[in-house]
Amino acid sequence: MATSKKSGGLRDLLEPMYSVIALLFILVACVELCDAAAAVDVYRLIQYDMSGSPFGSRFAALNHHASSLRFPPGADLSRTVLIIPLRELNITFVREYITQKKPLGGLLFLLPEVLSFKHGGNKQVHEKEKMKKLLAELEQLLVNSNIPYPVYFAFENDDIDTVLTEIKKNDAMGQPATATTGGYKLVIPTAEPKKVASPTITNIQGWLSGLKADGDANQLPTIAIVASYDTFGAAPALSVGGDSNGSGIVALLEIARLFSLLYSNPKTRGRYNLLFGLTSGGPYNYNGTQKWLRSFDQRLRESIDYAICLNSIGSWDNELWIHVSKPPENAYIKQIFEGFSNVAEELDLKVGLKHKKINISNPRVAWEHEQFSRLRVTAATLSGLSVAPELFESTGGLFDGRQYVNETAIFRGVKLVAESLARHIYGHQGKDVQIFADESSLAVNPAYIRSWLDLLSQTPRVAPFLSKNDPFVMALKKELADHADEVNVQHENLEGIFTFYDSTSTRLNIYQVASVTFDLLLLLVLGSYLIVLFCFLVITTRGVDDLISLFRRPPSRKVKTA
Amino acid sequence: MTMFHFFNCAILTFGPHAVYYSATPLSEYDTLGTSVKAALVYLGTALVKLVCLATFLQVSENDGFDPYQELLKALIGFIDVAGLFFALTQLTHRNISQNHKFQAVGLGWAFADSVLHRLAPLWVGARGLEFTWDYILQGLEANANLVLSISLAALGSLIWLRKNKPKTLIPIIYACAGIVATMPSITSYLRRGLEWHFPKVVGFELFTSLVMAFISWQLFSACQRPSA
Repeated sequence: MATSKKSGGLRDLLEPMYSVIALLFILVACVELCDAAAAVDVYRLIQYDMSGSPFGSRFAALNHHASSLRFPPGADLSRTVLIIPLRELNITFVREYITQKKPLGGLLFLLPEVLSFKHGGNKQVHEKEKMKKLLAELEQLLVNSNIPYPVYFAFENDDIDTVLTEIKKNDAMGQPATATTGGYKLVIPTAEPKKVASPTITNIQGWLSGLKADGDANQLPTIAIVASYDTFGAAPALSVGGDSNGSGIVALLEIARLFSLLYSNPKTRGRYNLLFGLTSGGPYNYNGTQKWLRSFDQRLRESIDYAICLNSIGSWDNELWIHVSKPPENAYIKQIFEGFSNVAEELDLKVGLKHKKINISNPRVAWEHEQFSRLRVTAATLSGLSVAPELFESTGGLFDGRQYVNETAIFRGVKLVAESLARHIYGHQGKDVQIFADESSLAVNPAYIRSWLDLLSQTPRVAPFLSKNDPFVMALKKELADHADEVNVQHENLEGIFTFYDSTSTRLNIYQVASVTFDLLLLLVLGSYLIVLFCFLVITTRGVDDLISLFRRPPSRKVKTA
Repeated sequence: MTMFHFFNCAILTFGPHAVYYSATPLSEYDTLGTSVKAALVYLGTALVKLVCLATFLQVSENDGFDPYQELLKALIGFIDVAGLFFALTQLTHRNISQNHKFQAVGLGWAFADSVLHRLAPLWVGARGLEFTWDYILQGLEANANLVLSISLAALGSLIWLRKNKPKTLIPIIYACAGIVATMPSITSYLRRGLEWHFPKVVGFELFTSLVMAFISWQLFSACQRPSA
């Protein structure tokens, strides 16, 4: 009776404790576990469908063991992630793996830290040309293949370097990391990537009105200056496109600024309207430009004298190219080219003319001026590139960062275009007059160019991932509004044959894990320790006989009843 | 797999307490109530210590060894001893022999210490994917702490509960009790002042706990002889 009373009392004491304990456990179970050997920002390879065919990396979530390139030959890599730093990259090896569709758990490419726009700063890149070529090749391979496992890019830092050296050591001992041998595990716990619903492309146009003489009923002629501002690359979160086409945007803004200064005073306002266009959808056959032009009034389109498109004018040395689709013998083309050549001579640089015929049946549009030409508007593209790029080539890839663009090149390009346009507008062809002379109030401003270039080199601009009211697009609009009389923004849907998937950047956790065999061994050791402890305590406190009696059932009882 | 590791570390940390209870005659005499009461006294003592530490101690920026602070911590540590005194003498136990009383009190004390200090880090940390040796070392530390608690309880029962002790042994008893009571200060000095690594500190704790257990066992049996 005494015992039951005591146990009842104990139970009463414990009852309110139960709820507290339960609450405590629930609370503690919600605690986030985040102590990993290293946590790194990683950027995913782009995933897109073109006319229904899948391209890029089709998965985002990762939960596999890590291995370096020194894995033992013949090892099964279908549940392993290969970590490949760029300096050890063997492009034929990767190409083999991808084209032959060999099973792999995932790929993680480590890029040198100088290429990072967050931490790289302005350090010099060693072996620029070699790295550029390698990255371009890698990008072309990855963007045009269908890869059934996650592919990520990351920047090297101390943490990940130490992890990689450890992994290489383990691999050298001939033990690839699996569930039973421990090692490092890479975990990215994201959800499955979803389609980006109706990606929008936003075209921004600015209009500077020319001086209309009294009594002049006809519409003034217009000159258009166009540049596309969006990019495309293997890692959309890293596609800042310094040269392609950050240089074009910066040049357009500077030219707009200079002409807005000229046009602000009615005495210096020219008799041409100026139309500035910042178009999107450049990498996708200049889809945005096409939609923008289609939205024009017929009269406006007819009033355009000619259009100059700016593309990749940030990394040339002393030769620029004017690409046209009308034959060079055409009077208008001759006039434009002569105007540019004269100014170029004075600025001590060369300008070449390249003619590429348009094939109407071919949907591929390599230069922006081709969209103008298809609608019978005279146009030309000024570019540092001499050859027309292929689809998704030179659209702002992994290498195209701040180090790859040269401010001086843009400065000279702006001078060339501004002077040529001004001579045409004010009728000074052939005369040796410098309107935008250095040290004048109309000088080209290198600080303006530099600050915009710095901003652009830190802003990834892949169109499907820019929302309608993206702050960068709004910033461009505001800047153009500062220079132009009237600014319009046009939102369109990207052409239907392209579909994009989200999940472009996330965080990778690297854990150092112990193998299952280790845990089993530990359980064995602990079990035997507890058993030994038990036996020791029984022997010392109760005596050996008690220990033996624990294991032997008392036989006497049966014997007694028998 | 990581729950596996948590399970392993849990049985290392809490298993010996259960084994001790079931292996020794404690289970036969049903001394669970005593252990539970001792655990509650430990809880109270821990709260009082927390309040004192918060009131009197200053938080130092560097993790070095500050003698004045450590002395203060040691003094507050003696509240532990007071708590143990309370548990041994003031709580009304049923008729358990003195032999079993100190064991039950020591066991309850050590179990409460393990749960309060080690269960939460174990639950939060050992379940993660990342593997470290810390939790296994913590389990070994819990084992050493069990032995130390029982020896401290034994010495305490000798000091306060046993009336007739041989005169020569009294200073030794007090000395040993002093050493065992200041063990936390000694380990923190080793960790911070001499900058020993965790495995080394745990090894030292295990060694000293075994030594002190042996000494207190000898003392206890020596004191038992005259009355026997």
